[in-house]
Amino acid sequence: MPKARIRNQIRRLRFDHGEMTQQHLADLVGCTRQTIIVLEKERYVPSLSLAFEIARVFERNIEDVFTYVDGPERDGSP
Amino acid sequence: MTTFWIGFAVLGGALVVIAITRFIRGLVPQSEMRDVPMTALETLGWVGLAVTGLVTAGLGVLVAVVGVTDLQEADSARFIFWLILIVGIGVWLAAWVALRRRNGGVVADERDRVVLARSFSVESMVVLLSLVTWAVVLTEAFWDDGTVPLAYLQLLFWTTLIGGAMGRSLGIVLGYRREIDTDA
Repeated sequence: MPKARIRNQIRRLRFDHGEMTQQHLADLVGCTRQTIIVLEKERYVPSLSLAFEIARVFERNIEDVFTYVDGPERDGSP
Repeated sequence: MTTFWIGFAVLGGALVVIAITRFIRGLVPQSEMRDVPMTALETLGWVGLAVTGLVTAGLGVLVAVVGVTDLQEADSARFIFWLILIVGIGVWLAAWVALRRRNGGVVADERDRVVLARSFSVESMVVLLSLVTWAVVLTEAFWDDGTVPLAYLQLLFWTTLIGGAMGRSLGIVLGYRREIDTDA
């Protein structure tokens, strides 16, 4: 069974919010810049509380920032 | 019987080569992780690897030169033994304090804590391996005597402790090179 994946829009939302820097976002949500980098690269799935914190910074619902993608869709095929 | 031991050695050698290859590949960051700067904890992991490696090498040379029994009996050898350990711990603590200061008192966030928690499995494996090795070596070496000199027990303790610290540092360094899915 293909592994599901959590995709996110953090990078785009950062730029939509006045080109917010990774460090600034990290300071606002209480994590390191490195964690924001790996989040944007989708190499790290955050805890629920960090996900909510990030959504709150961008004034969005959590589903607008993070989406759950099933295995087949991960590769681009529906 | 000889064929058995040759086969055993070849199989063992192959397993060691595979383990070393996997270990070296694990240390090289994957392409998408190459431009990610090191966190304070990862830096501390590398410092830990360097310190434990140097302490192990120092103690190894000392034991090879003076012997295990003299290590306890000769004052100068015992002094060097403790000096190596204290300097090693001191360097690691200094690095930890410096990193804390540089990061405004914060060394770890939630991702760091996940990496740290997972590194425990590497540490336990190294500690277990050290204890098994010592048990086998001491049993084989002193079976006829029926007793183990006290100096070996102290060496067993320190090598296991240093090995554990090295395993923890290795686990941290490897942890940052892997994808982390807190969901998995």
